[in-house]
Amino acid sequence: MSDEANSGRRGALKALAVAGGALGCGALVLPTARFLAAPASGAAGTGRWIRTVRLDSLPPGLAKRVELVADHRDAWTLEKDVALGAAWLLRSGAEVRAFSVVCPHLGCAIDRTATGPGFACPCHDSSFDSDGKRLTGPSPRGLDELATRIEDGFVLVNFQRFRQGTPEKLPIG
Amino acid sequence: MPLFGKILDWLDERTGWRASWREWIDHPVVGGAPWARAMATSVAACFGVLALTGVVLMTAYAPSPQSAWASVHYLQFVQDRGWIVRGLHFWAAQALIVLAGVHVVHTALAGSYRKPRELVWWLTLAVPALAVGGCITGGLLPWDQRGWWARLVEGNIVGLAPAIGPFLQQMMQGGSELGALGLTRAYALHVLVVPAGIAAVLITRRRLAARHGWGGVGTTTRYSRLLPYGALVAAATVFLLFALTGATRGAPLDAPADPMSDYPARPEWFLLTLFELRKFFHGAGEFWGTTLLPGAALLVLALLPFFDRAPRSRAPAVVVALAVVAGGAALSGMAWRKDAHDAQYAKQRARADALAAAAAKLAMQGVPPAGALEMVRQDPELRGRDLFDKHCASCHVLGDAGDPAKATATKLDGWGTANWISSMIHDPDAPEFFGRGPYKGEMPSVDVRPKDKPAGEAWNAMTKSAAERQAVSLFLSLQGDEPGDPPRAADASVRATGEKIVAERCTTCHLYKGDGDDEGNGIAPELAHYGSVSWTRAQVANPASASTYRDKALDESRKKHMPRFDKDLSAADVDLVARWTRAHARGVPLR
Repeated sequence: MSDEANSGRRGALKALAVAGGALGCGALVLPTARFLAAPASGAAGTGRWIRTVRLDSLPPGLAKRVELVADHRDAWTLEKDVALGAAWLLRSGAEVRAFSVVCPHLGCAIDRTATGPGFACPCHDSSFDSDGKRLTGPSPRGLDELATRIEDGFVLVNFQRFRQGTPEKLPIG
Repeated sequence: MPLFGKILDWLDERTGWRASWREWIDHPVVGGAPWARAMATSVAACFGVLALTGVVLMTAYAPSPQSAWASVHYLQFVQDRGWIVRGLHFWAAQALIVLAGVHVVHTALAGSYRKPRELVWWLTLAVPALAVGGCITGGLLPWDQRGWWARLVEGNIVGLAPAIGPFLQQMMQGGSELGALGLTRAYALHVLVVPAGIAAVLITRRRLAARHGWGGVGTTTRYSRLLPYGALVAAATVFLLFALTGATRGAPLDAPADPMSDYPARPEWFLLTLFELRKFFHGAGEFWGTTLLPGAALLVLALLPFFDRAPRSRAPAVVVALAVVAGGAALSGMAWRKDAHDAQYAKQRARADALAAAAAKLAMQGVPPAGALEMVRQDPELRGRDLFDKHCASCHVLGDAGDPAKATATKLDGWGTANWISSMIHDPDAPEFFGRGPYKGEMPSVDVRPKDKPAGEAWNAMTKSAAERQAVSLFLSLQGDEPGDPPRAADASVRATGEKIVAERCTTCHLYKGDGDDEGNGIAPELAHYGSVSWTRAQVANPASASTYRDKALDESRKKHMPRFDKDLSAADVDLVARWTRAHARGVPLR
């Protein structure tokens, strides 16, 4: 056999090996990458209506923290009747406003301020007035208001999560 | 021994291990043994401790939200010597960051990043970065409050990055919430990817360092001659880790992660710089200020070899390196100082610590399969306190629950005991009794002349002597005794005196066993079983049921009086909060 033919065969073999290797690696990478990215594919949710406390149990003008209790699915676990989140309820007459307790900045739990009627975040010192408007601190927007409605004397809250750290209120899954 | 030598020969013939070993262990070291060598050795020793204890911990740890906290609690508090293993792992992780950081600073000051050691320098920088990655992924594994909240906030910080932020965040969290998949991901990174990375970096760096020597001038020696020094440094490092573990009794474990709590989240100590920096940049500037600014500082460090070349003066490079370190330390100090002077934070932290201690104690009995959080939520003591905080503490004070400055209802410490009743019937309008509520002025003192009856006007004290007041107090306090309470001696004749006074004189307004209230005012409560579980439960459920207070208690004119809770709370919760309140008021065990 001539050297030329030999080197040609070697070249072809090299190309074949490279192509085969790339194909093999690609075949491995694609499903593993899809597997890893799977939990990141959640679409934006529209919220779920959750029944909370009776309207007449809310003192007018004083924010009250209520837990939003429903079934919770976390990967393979389904928990019945657990708190998915919480909201500050503020009643004025027959109207109730609800604010998510999740700080719009980075997600710490919002509390009432020790002194005034407003709210504050224990992590990065954002503060909000009783209408949820941002007063001070790094939060890019006011508290996230959740829709409410009254049914059979109970306050229903539309539980939803929003992206943290954006000036706009963007719902997430 | 000859047999052993023969086996080694046999192996060498087939593997050539002696040559590889010699290459690793006995090459010339240019410039002797600078301190940088000791740093690298102690870093390697820390990594060795981490790898060993890590594998041992894996034999007891179970990564799921239901089992993670319980298994860490078990291995730390129940398993033999668990606290030592976990303590060593924890402290080796902190020490790895510190030592790798010191190594970076030392290398920078010594200028040994200059050509041809650029790659060695980058690998030196990669060690603390990977160590931080190990701490961040490892901090989540106990699934406790501290780790969970720190990771939640860090995930949201990642989510701030433009374009890929939200995707990266969901990849880290394993979905839109930090849940089960976030934990298993952190676990995979922590036990395999990060340690493999650190090992690869340490081995490569050593190979390159051996190739270039350790810099400086002076003698050239054989590496094997330095081995005893290296062993001493490694032994000292391990000794230090044992000392830290012993001094702190292992590693901290906060209460089980509870996404619903008001936890005052704080990052790990090595991220305090970024935490503080965050307070200076708001809105659109946040990402640039808190991610790109520190990123740029790190980039400057990484690029030192390119703008600091021989034979120029090293002073500017040294100043830059020191400025980065000093700036970071100053910001951390500010964050630490602020928290140390923040009363609100101290209060929240103390509550979190108390809950952690209670949960750790509770878990000694075993954790239910539903998990540690469920255990905490279902525990009568902790759940009772939680219910009291949520539903009672806005008006009442009991122990450290409630705010004395804002209380409008009776202070419940000692409520129903003989001492409490004795003070109460003497001065019912004292601020700790009815003084701040709608019942102020309704109950007269048993032995103090009322202000509207000046001296000389006819007035009969209800208890005519200290002994009578004591008898009434004792009798009423016995009304609340339950079979499980600690037994106490009560003189039968004193008791009879008390009952006689109550039945004859108190029933002008009060009910006793359903009789009384001669004028039909409908205000004063029933005294039979006062302070018992059934009385307290009935009062919490509905104060207007006549088995405690009566119809007038929920009158419009008494708007701030205690509301009924049977519409908001389940019967089981009403029962629990009643039993909890009674037990803590009287100082008896909760049953």
